[in-house]
Amino acid sequence: MSIQRKFSIFRYNPNTPDVKPFMQEYVIEEPQSMTIFTALNKIREEQDPSLMFDFVCRAAICGSCAMVINGKPRLACKTLTTDFSGTITLMPLPVFKLVGDLSVDTGAWFRHLSLKTKAWVHTDKEFDPNAAEERMDNETALLIYEAERCIECGCCIAGCVTANIREDFLGAAGINRVARFMVDPRDERSGNEYFEVIGSDEGAFGCMGLMACDDNCPMQLPLQLQLSFVRRKMLAFGLSK
Amino acid sequence: MLAQKILTRNPKAELYYDLVELLTGVTLVGFLWTHMLFVATILLGKNTFNSLSQALDDYYLSYVGIPFIILVFMMHILTAGRRLPTRYQEQQIIWRHAKMLEGADTWVWVFQVITGAAIFALGSIHMWVVISGWPISAMTSAERMQAFWWFYLVLLILGEYHAGFGIYRQFVKWGWFPRKPLGYISKVITAIILTLGLAALWVFLKLGGA
Repeated sequence: MSIQRKFSIFRYNPNTPDVKPFMQEYVIEEPQSMTIFTALNKIREEQDPSLMFDFVCRAAICGSCAMVINGKPRLACKTLTTDFSGTITLMPLPVFKLVGDLSVDTGAWFRHLSLKTKAWVHTDKEFDPNAAEERMDNETALLIYEAERCIECGCCIAGCVTANIREDFLGAAGINRVARFMVDPRDERSGNEYFEVIGSDEGAFGCMGLMACDDNCPMQLPLQLQLSFVRRKMLAFGLSK
Repeated sequence: MLAQKILTRNPKAELYYDLVELLTGVTLVGFLWTHMLFVATILLGKNTFNSLSQALDDYYLSYVGIPFIILVFMMHILTAGRRLPTRYQEQQIIWRHAKMLEGADTWVWVFQVITGAAIFALGSIHMWVVISGWPISAMTSAERMQAFWWFYLVLLILGEYHAGFGIYRQFVKWGWFPRKPLGYISKVITAIILTLGLAALWVFLKLGGA
């Protein structure tokens, strides 16, 4: 037995600004279990080929299909329709540039983040391809790995009040990224250099501690602890020089 | 880069602002809780209350403490207040966002802003009234309660809310601990202080007729 499921989906195309944003309703047959991602494809195939939304991997790896599902930033591919009763409302992520309907451009935002935080290992050491790789203790490797689990879906940014009103705020994704390099012994940046990047209201001190990032991370990253770790580091660096 | 921004740039300014917000906030929470414990000495009787007030006066603690707290109060308004959304569109975004997200901490913060603004007004009135009726004694306090118990009830609830969640949020932002136990502990302390405050309010009301 399948049931009828109603979706209320945000529609807007920036290329036709005369048509004001509106919510459009679709009803589909819902099998026993399906993800929001599957449902969207069904709607597009069977009812409305003009519906815009993003996806690539279908497996919570690429982070493309993040959207606001019944008020919460979630991955469409990792959220089941059966988690909700009644109508499911879908909105695009705020903060990011709206491409149309549910599709947003997170890429440009994250590229800016990478350049701003200089998100690569800074070292003066010459790379020797023949030398054995330097060893790293397991604990450090795990700390780096934990921060690197971020898939850059943008849910933490969309949920953040500060990011919603301050365009220059780097948010949990940005601060988490810096935390990743701060624990990496191969990165030779000084405390001063990190402070320049993130010791301001654009970075660590812009966070007001509302923790919507921590509540809504689809990868369950420990964002509160990452944010407070970086905040304390910034305090130490800022007061030491 | 713009000339006026290069000339005024101080890379550490935002660190100092954040630090002053933290330190003044923690000081005010400490003050408020101590204040409520002192007020609650009325539960032990008029004489205990009066002799504590007398002792604070005799050792000049009131004369040092009150101006200091006023200064800290002003600094907290300036540093914590810098985060307040002042533009119409920002306020609309936040309101919509809070309703959409239904995140408990986001709502708590919205009320933190509202209670903060209210405490600015009500706290200032409270300080003015108390200082102009100096010294503090059980009888004058009881007299104030007769007519203005509702004012103190509102200020008590707003103050405890703002302090309890304020200290919680500072620990969340700076701390080593996960949020859940932090929230629990700050709620328990707030409940205790609130109960003491309400009890003191009740005793003052009873005392008023005498």
